[in-house]
Amino acid sequence: MVSIEDYGEFETAWCPGCGNFGILKAIKQALVNLGRSPHEVLVASGIGQSSKTPHYLNCNSFNGLHGRSLPPATGAKIANHELTVIAVTGDGDCYGEGGNHFLHTVRRNPDITMIVHDNQIYGLTKGQASPTSEIGMKTKVQTHGVFNMPLNPLSLAISLDCSFVARGYAGKVSHLTSLIEKAIEHKGLSLVDVLQPCVSFNKLNTFKWYSERVYEMDDTGYELNDRVRAFEKSMEWGEKIPLGVFYVNEKPCFEDYLDVLKSGPLYRNPPATEKVNDLIDSFI
Amino acid sequence: MATQLVKGNTAAVIGALYAGCDCYFGYPITPASEILQEASKYFPKLGRKFVQAESEEAAINMVYGAASTGHRVMTASSGPGISLKQEGVSYMAGAELPCVIVDIMRAGPGLGNIGPEQGDYNQVVKGGGHGNYKNIVLAPNSVQEMCDFVIKGFELAFKYRNPVVVLADGVLGQMVESLQFPEVSEKPEIDTEWAVSGTAETRENLITSIFLDFNQLEEFNYKIQEKYDLIEEQEVDCDEYMTEDANIILVSYGISSRICKSAVDQARKEGIKVGLFRPKTLFPFPKEELKTIADSKECTFVSVEMSNGQMLEDIKLAIECSRPTELVYRMGGNLITMDQVLDSIRKIAGEE
Repeated sequence: MVSIEDYGEFETAWCPGCGNFGILKAIKQALVNLGRSPHEVLVASGIGQSSKTPHYLNCNSFNGLHGRSLPPATGAKIANHELTVIAVTGDGDCYGEGGNHFLHTVRRNPDITMIVHDNQIYGLTKGQASPTSEIGMKTKVQTHGVFNMPLNPLSLAISLDCSFVARGYAGKVSHLTSLIEKAIEHKGLSLVDVLQPCVSFNKLNTFKWYSERVYEMDDTGYELNDRVRAFEKSMEWGEKIPLGVFYVNEKPCFEDYLDVLKSGPLYRNPPATEKVNDLIDSFI
Repeated sequence: MATQLVKGNTAAVIGALYAGCDCYFGYPITPASEILQEASKYFPKLGRKFVQAESEEAAINMVYGAASTGHRVMTASSGPGISLKQEGVSYMAGAELPCVIVDIMRAGPGLGNIGPEQGDYNQVVKGGGHGNYKNIVLAPNSVQEMCDFVIKGFELAFKYRNPVVVLADGVLGQMVESLQFPEVSEKPEIDTEWAVSGTAETRENLITSIFLDFNQLEEFNYKIQEKYDLIEEQEVDCDEYMTEDANIILVSYGISSRICKSAVDQARKEGIKVGLFRPKTLFPFPKEELKTIADSKECTFVSVEMSNGQMLEDIKLAIECSRPTELVYRMGGNLITMDQVLDSIRKIAGEE
């Protein structure tokens, strides 16, 4: 039996009251509920407050470059596709610096779970606007208020036919846990965008602000593979902000196309040197 | 003339404003973020342009685009962000475009940490991106110079149509000292000889770094090498402190040169003849000046740096390995201490 304790308890560098704590708790609980042992799990991240998460989990972990949690997560998944691979990233990391990797990982569709800590601000560098900051929000850099349109990660992912798209909230840990469980169990790239209050630098999108607006969708009122309806639903934002699974499209994932993985993970199948010799012989 | 206590990062922005820089493109990174913040505060107030980009690559390419129009353009970052900008810098060197880039060095390699280091020396002084190009590199050692060298940087960038890097570190960026504000505020005019302004006058101008013909590209490469030769001839800047009678010559730039100066004063009290040679330009490196010292007397050169001997290699080349050299260094975000420098001085003095 796997227990929460197996995933360890660490001192963190996060501010007291940070939404990250709720997300960390939900990740641990989801992994325990699914019976995944720490050695079966890889958590990869980029740079940002969210990306410190792998340091606070007693499992395989990877903390790489800014914006680039997905490429190493893809690489690791190819090396050992039996691993449960989770890419933990943030709005600045994934939708800004790493936007290009996000688009192309959605297209590639590896069996990876993306958990995006979306606090609508840059926390690590102390409070600049991020790609999801609301119009009008004032920061120490956007002194006259943000005027760029915020990026809608759910609409973007659905438009790219991302195979699983969901939104959670750091203030609803049990709901978020169930979303992460579904995302991990889903075969293919799953995006869980998590609304996460930044208590130090985002004075607009606070716990109160989110709590007054978010609601759990019991039923979306459409088939989850209905892309147009999902897209429409993903645009609901403002007075009411829906949480839950927006879109699911079961389709082959990246690993399915790699014949070399059919006989098991690469670590169990070292390169066959005799085949290299045969190949070289064929040139002579 | 106003004097005020300011942070080094703020001083860089003040320098940019006085230099007539009217476009700033950046992305946050510790310990350089205050440059972005101060630029966002002051540029729009003066009718100048400021953009927080989505990444360092986006920022340097915005610099590339705006520089093509002949405007005075700046960006700033720190180690990992500078690595990301290198592609754009190579293209700008290839297109012979002026810009000023401020690098507030932090400790590496990789993510490292946010402590001060001088580990970007090679990636900045030796080019960094692909191709046969060089940046002009200025190395301030005070808040005053953070401002003055940005102004000087724009002057050189436009004189030679070349990227200029102001190479500072986490301490210089974050520390507060008094800054005497510049006396003159530049009012630069667009050079229609080469800039692309979207006017009939500049219609024939072309900004490019592509030369499909091999010989043409080689010719261009020869031409920029001649430019670098001219820069080496004309723009070397360095300070010498008590080097005249010294037989131990500390060589140090940036914040470590400040520590070295104190070490020189202390060692002199102990009767050791030691001096400090401080390059203020890293490219052009003060080769001739070091060679003159090496040729004039028996002496030992000590490279004092917060990196793994990256500058030591240039010192050895400059003096053609004609004198003994030593390296005193710290890495990982640690500052050199005066005692560390003194220990080395005493050891060398004892051996003599």
